[in-house]
Amino acid sequence: MPADPMILLSDLSKVFQGTTTPAVDGLSLSVREGETVVLVGPSGCGKTTTLKMINRLIEPTSGSITVAGNEVTQMEPYELRRGIGYVIQQIGLFPHRSIRDNIATVPSLLGWGKSTISARVDELADMVDIDPDMLDRYPAELSGGQRQRVGVARALAADPPVLLMDEPFGAVDPIVRARLQQELKDLQARLNKTIVLVTHDIDEAILLGDRIAILNVGGILEQYETPEETLRDPANPFVAGFLGSDRGIKRLSLIPISTTDLVPGPVVAPDAPIHEVRTVALEYGVDWVAVVEDEALLGWKAVADVSDSGDAARPGFEPRPFATTLSPSDSLKEALDAVVTSHTSVAAVVDGDRYLGMLTMDAISKEIIQ
Amino acid sequence: MTVVAQSGQPFIDWEWVLTHGDDMWEATLEHATLTAIALGVGLVLSMILALVALQWRRTYSPITWFTGILYTIPSLALFTFLVPVFGLSLTTAEIALVSYTLLILIRNIVAGVDAVPDHLTEASRGMGMTNRQTFVSVQLPLALPAIIAGIRIAAVTTIGLVTVTVLVGQGGYGVFILRGIRRQFLTEALVGTVLSVLLAVVVDAALLGVERWATPWATRKASS
Repeated sequence: MPADPMILLSDLSKVFQGTTTPAVDGLSLSVREGETVVLVGPSGCGKTTTLKMINRLIEPTSGSITVAGNEVTQMEPYELRRGIGYVIQQIGLFPHRSIRDNIATVPSLLGWGKSTISARVDELADMVDIDPDMLDRYPAELSGGQRQRVGVARALAADPPVLLMDEPFGAVDPIVRARLQQELKDLQARLNKTIVLVTHDIDEAILLGDRIAILNVGGILEQYETPEETLRDPANPFVAGFLGSDRGIKRLSLIPISTTDLVPGPVVAPDAPIHEVRTVALEYGVDWVAVVEDEALLGWKAVADVSDSGDAARPGFEPRPFATTLSPSDSLKEALDAVVTSHTSVAAVVDGDRYLGMLTMDAISKEIIQ
Repeated sequence: MTVVAQSGQPFIDWEWVLTHGDDMWEATLEHATLTAIALGVGLVLSMILALVALQWRRTYSPITWFTGILYTIPSLALFTFLVPVFGLSLTTAEIALVSYTLLILIRNIVAGVDAVPDHLTEASRGMGMTNRQTFVSVQLPLALPAIIAGIRIAAVTTIGLVTVTVLVGQGGYGVFILRGIRRQFLTEALVGTVLSVLLAVVVDAALLGVERWATPWATRKASS
């Protein structure tokens, strides 16, 4: 079933001159076409060295690397690099060139015609959400987030099948980073590039990677799996330690609510009589009920609010809205947050206006333990 | 009001100044030409030597050592060695003038290229530029402010030095100065000096203008 890998590292080693311990030691790794692989690990784990060997900014000491079936050491380095998008942490826009010319770097090197390049630049600016007015400015006139987008546009300019990203979001503040990470995810969903991304941030790796390669000092591959599988079953104590003590919760962020079973919850109609309210609440062992009318979730009310009255819909005691309602595509991590922050200790799940059911702490922890 | 100097002549003889406009213009052209040749040849030689130094790092120290020696030789002494070979000629004058530009220019070119951040050269190589393309379209343009700064220093120094070449039959404004001294005619010496200073100031300002024009990216910054 698996097609030929887009990138294949075989027994790859790098020993830098003047050192005896290898920076990368016998690393083998294959990356499928259209896959995002994140190399993650502590400093000194050789992740950046590995990345730079793929486009030969660093020459391997031994082993082989193929990209799309071609052995990279058999290619002219500059020709190889023109076919691989490259994004670095410092972004590295050329300060003396306009944004337009920066994005056009590789197409110009490839000798594209002027009008083709111009059209492509406009297309890319649109793709990464850069205002056309900015194209004639210099990098120093842009914000960090805008520069980073331009860096991605420049890497994508000649539509390379492979994209190498070295800590691409390292230089921007956390708020901008979160937005750019999401943008990259959306972009990748459309473009389907083969991406190798280096980061030291395990959360970034979990968010962006189809598979995560966890490297240890000396370029030892400790585990190479999907984020979910890695979090569920760390290969060894090093991986477990690197994932952090909250890996159970981290894993929840990868599981959509739709994959778990919801409970109907203590539900009553708006005009339910008091004895029914009490019965339903008792059944679930809670002191509140959710009010649903024609499949629409109106809110919740405490049993105490209705206990003195024969009429559950008495004015002044209308259902209170749930602070957060979730949709099936939200993650269990968001559900957990809703559970621990709500008065009712459940997460109400709706699909548009339609009430689907509830998630309880029990259901979420079952997922963690699974 | 007339200021009287020691010899009894007026401090500045305005009539001489007003009647020698043509001579001054001619001297200005000669002075500018001598300077331009020295800077042009100096820049070409410096660029070649800087390229050698950048390509083979070990040559940088001997190159600066050699041009440093040239820089420290007094011009009078240099003429003494050159005149027997090249006579009282433009060649003699220019060899001396060019010699004095080399150290400044080479140092500024090399320092300018060295100051280009590593991540930019890495980005350019990572995009698939050859080493030559990286040098020509990234390193050199980014070193331009430093290089032009070197040219400005070299220009101002050379304009001052050109006056000395009057001793080998050239001179520009130096002709006024030397003749003024010989004839104890203060006005002429003063005119030569003032014009030399003015030319230096004007050329320096013009080169600053060239720098601004050639490196618009260096002055435009984020407005927000």
